[in-house]
Amino acid sequence: MGIGTYLALASVLFGIGAAGFLARRNMLIQLMSIELMLNSVNVVLLAFNRAYPGNHDGQVFAFFVIAVAAAEAAVGLAILIAYYRIKKTLDTDDATLLKY
Amino acid sequence: MHLEAPQQILLLLIILFPLGGAIINGLLGRYMAKGLVTLVGVGSVAVSFALAVASFVELYGLRHDAESATLAYHFYEWFSLKLPGGTVVPINVQFVMDSLSGVMTLVVTGVGGLIHLYSIGYMGEDEGYPRFMSFLNLFMASMLILVLGSSMPVMFVGWEGVGLCSYLLIGFWYENRDYAAAGRKAFVANRIGDFGVLIGMFILVGVAGSFEFADINAAAAGGQFRPDFPILMFGVAPSLATVACIFLFLGCTGKSAQIPLYVWLPDAMAGPTPVSALIHAATMVTAGVYLCCRLSPLFITSDVAMSIIAVTGTLTALLAASIAVVQREMKKILAYSTVSQLGFMFAAVGVGFFAAGFFHVFTHAFFKACLFLGAGSVMHAVHAHGDADIFKLGGLKKQLPITRWTFLASCLAIAGFPLTSGFFSKDEILLGAAAQAYRGDDMLMTSVGWFTLIGLTLAAVMTAFYMFRLYFLTFTGEYRSADQSGDHPYDAHPHESPPSMTVPLVILGLGALGVGFLGLPHVVPIIGTHLTDYSWWGHWMEASVAGRPVPEEMHVVNLASGLALAAMAIGISAAWLLYRNKSTDALTDKMPARLYQLAFDKWRVDELYAATIVNPIKQVATAAGHADMTFVDALMTKWPSFKVRETGRILARLQTGVVQMYGVVMVVGLVAVLAWFWTPHSRIEAAFEGTQVELTTPQGLGYEYRWDANSDGEFDTQWERAPGTTFEYGRADIRGVAAFLTSVDSGIEQRIDVTEEWMRLPIESVVPAELRQPGDPGLQVRLDGHDLLFRQPHAQKGSSGDREIRLPLGKDGLLGPARVSARPLVEATVEVRNAFGNTRRDRKEIALPFAPEAPSHALLTPRAREVVR
Amino acid sequence: MTGPGATLFVVTSIFAMAGALMTISSRRPLRAAIGLLVHIISLAGMFLTLNAHLLAALQLLVYAGAIVVLFVFVIMLIGPAAEVGPIQGRVASRTLGIALTITVVLAVSTSVAYFDAPWVAVPDDFGTVEGLGMAIYRQALVPFEVISITLLVAIIGAITIARSRTE
Repeated sequence: MGIGTYLALASVLFGIGAAGFLARRNMLIQLMSIELMLNSVNVVLLAFNRAYPGNHDGQVFAFFVIAVAAAEAAVGLAILIAYYRIKKTLDTDDATLLKY
Repeated sequence: MHLEAPQQILLLLIILFPLGGAIINGLLGRYMAKGLVTLVGVGSVAVSFALAVASFVELYGLRHDAESATLAYHFYEWFSLKLPGGTVVPINVQFVMDSLSGVMTLVVTGVGGLIHLYSIGYMGEDEGYPRFMSFLNLFMASMLILVLGSSMPVMFVGWEGVGLCSYLLIGFWYENRDYAAAGRKAFVANRIGDFGVLIGMFILVGVAGSFEFADINAAAAGGQFRPDFPILMFGVAPSLATVACIFLFLGCTGKSAQIPLYVWLPDAMAGPTPVSALIHAATMVTAGVYLCCRLSPLFITSDVAMSIIAVTGTLTALLAASIAVVQREMKKILAYSTVSQLGFMFAAVGVGFFAAGFFHVFTHAFFKACLFLGAGSVMHAVHAHGDADIFKLGGLKKQLPITRWTFLASCLAIAGFPLTSGFFSKDEILLGAAAQAYRGDDMLMTSVGWFTLIGLTLAAVMTAFYMFRLYFLTFTGEYRSADQSGDHPYDAHPHESPPSMTVPLVILGLGALGVGFLGLPHVVPIIGTHLTDYSWWGHWMEASVAGRPVPEEMHVVNLASGLALAAMAIGISAAWLLYRNKSTDALTDKMPARLYQLAFDKWRVDELYAATIVNPIKQVATAAGHADMTFVDALMTKWPSFKVRETGRILARLQTGVVQMYGVVMVVGLVAVLAWFWTPHSRIEAAFEGTQVELTTPQGLGYEYRWDANSDGEFDTQWERAPGTTFEYGRADIRGVAAFLTSVDSGIEQRIDVTEEWMRLPIESVVPAELRQPGDPGLQVRLDGHDLLFRQPHAQKGSSGDREIRLPLGKDGLLGPARVSARPLVEATVEVRNAFGNTRRDRKEIALPFAPEAPSHALLTPRAREVVR
Repeated sequence: MTGPGATLFVVTSIFAMAGALMTISSRRPLRAAIGLLVHIISLAGMFLTLNAHLLAALQLLVYAGAIVVLFVFVIMLIGPAAEVGPIQGRVASRTLGIALTITVVLAVSTSVAYFDAPWVAVPDDFGTVEGLGMAIYRQALVPFEVISITLLVAIIGAITIARSRTE
């Protein structure tokens, strides 16, 4: 049950988040998947900091990751609401304005 | 080659002043006040004239010193040309003034200066006045380069320059399409001639080995041009001189408006009158005659070329005169008159009287310039645009007295009235023709002589006739002011021109009357007095121009003078009867209508050219344009761009606009990168230091290495971060022996795997076939333990059996051009592990360049190396 | 790792994975949000096993308490349209995406699982409020201030974007 286990778990969680982002059509679910991925990164950072506890660098970094994730979630959901107001749907398969 | 002559920098300054004036007026003219423009434009030419006079005075002072007195100035070496055959021909920008170019320079700067003065009044109100002055100055500079150049390339620079300025000045009022077309026509016709000059130049440099006139003339006099031209032309083998002269003469027909390239000169009247006076009367068109005189020693060696020149000149004189007789506009008549007079000059050159031809250039400059400026004065007085119809003029002798008297003087000169300048020069020309007719050289020369004599006489009759027709209809009778109709009626009250225009007229008119006395004939006709000592012109020109001897037999002299006087008398009296105080053209009644129309239409030569040359070229151009559009454009540009666009369209389907798909693509890329880095990479390299072998493999991020030096399955090192280790191999590690052949010369190395059986040593793999001895059966080699055995199977000279040579391990042997060495083989293995935990094993066979002595290998870590040392 | 730690780890990891799977696979967004909540709370527990006390608390405060709540508010705001129809279309891209993701995850996890570092003893104040707080205020003061400005900017941005245009 060493640090490696935490790393493996984090990679699995990251994979779950990535799969959710790539496969789902619902924009809300996609944002939630992004949060999953960010959380997995936090696990990795804390695991390494635990393995090398000479300083708090990992935890400080994780602290800022949480803060940034919060900001990102806020702005992302604001964009989602604005998008919903225009398009009346949350289906990303309809968001093809960038299509050639 | 620098000419051995006194260096005179004035020669360069003569050119630089007008050139500087051209640049200043050209770049800054539009910002300068009109007075300043005039000062720069006219002042530069005035200074140039003064310097020319100074140089001429110095040249005159030298005339007794050497056989050919010259002044020279070497400016710089432009570049040099390497001829096939090895000669290096330098092309120097060098100017020379001898008797010929001295006179010409004075004419150019003097007459040119007067015309610049005239232009102040004539072009002063035009808004392009600074541009005009700039172009005139540029023309002066180019003409002076042409005249003063000491070699053909420098002269050619001037030649082209005057052609360019002619184009710029003819098409000066470029907004009018017809005027611009006239300028273009002049330039194109000139260009065709320039081709001839170039070819001639190349032949000259090929034969004489130099571009300098002095060298070419010396080569011609020395007979170097006598051999035959290596290509048959029309079944005869002409001499080199003939071919060169014909090509050069082609250039002269372009520049000096002879048949067939004269067609541009009448159209060139579209330019302002001072331009016509300067360029198309006094200076540029005489450049062709100047060239012939310059190379007179060359021309005179070729009878064929001279005959062609004489005939062409005569025909041109006749053709142009016949057209001038029926024309109705002043400048047109004067233009054809110029072409005709140029024909006279070339006829003179053609019969070998170069100095006489050049004398006619000299006198013609005065009276023709005066005639043109006078015509300009008339047009200025009646406010005519473009040209003046003489049938709408008349009686102007009352209103324009100065113009009338100078015009009359020049008409008398051109007709050859006794004691005017034209009289003396025309007389000399006819004398030359008569001389050739009577000399009795051969059929060709004699017939050409007679043809020239008769033809020029006829042309002289017509010349006198049409010039006085022009004079009488313009100046006598009553002014036909009531007869004006059309768009531009002439001014009802013409008045004399301002002094800036009349002063040059007076000077030129006086010159037209007086300069003839510089060239008195050798023998006075009828009386028989010898004036040889007083004919200054002939003596002066001798120094630089060749020529045939002047006859002294009275019957020849009398015939020539008699014909000249008769021609003048007939012409003037016919004109007097038909046109004095008259107002209609009597010719329309007297000539058959068809003939009149043909002559009026310039014998339809322009139409002929258009049909045979111009239109076919236009059609080819149109066809080429179509081919370009359909073939080149479609195949080369549209098709590739179409293909590229299609490919783009296919690739654009990757952009679905759905972000998740892009994410999938990112994951695909990530997987590819991961796959590449999944297992580590390695490549073993061996470096030898004495008996130690350093094994390395490329360093990777997070890699760990362990080595098995002799591949016995036991790893000799632990997992380390350092990618290399050092080993010392032992005899126990040897896994095999290989022979290596090295070429001594080229260093090519070839490995040969030897076995216990005899095999042939393939020397040819490193030694090219030609170095091997023929009949060499080749060596055989085999492995014996760790050593190599060589033998030669059938020794040639019957020596005792086969000799065997042993090469121990690790040693080198020399076999002729190849070196052979026996090297032991060992195998090294490395195992690499990356951060993913994946490992990879790599092994490599190494050939040691030495024989290991130690029994078994040793790992030499840095610490161990120190111990060993 | 000691017993209670190991047990806590196992439990929280199972719940974390379960929550994550629920998030990505639910049709209804509210269920996904609840899955996220479960995931976050279990991660907070996992952080405790890693001696990250302050961060565990912050995880609950910020993530569970603010972000998930925000998600729920938005779901309520959007209403029934928040639920998008079943997965359809783009089969190839979806399959490829999931397959490759699984591949990557397997590769990475099997490699990193062997990461070996001894479970060293930690200093007393490691991960505590004082310890982490000191580290932030000493080593990372400037980023700390900047992050507060970032959050301010995010608030302003969110308000600007999401503001109703009816005024």
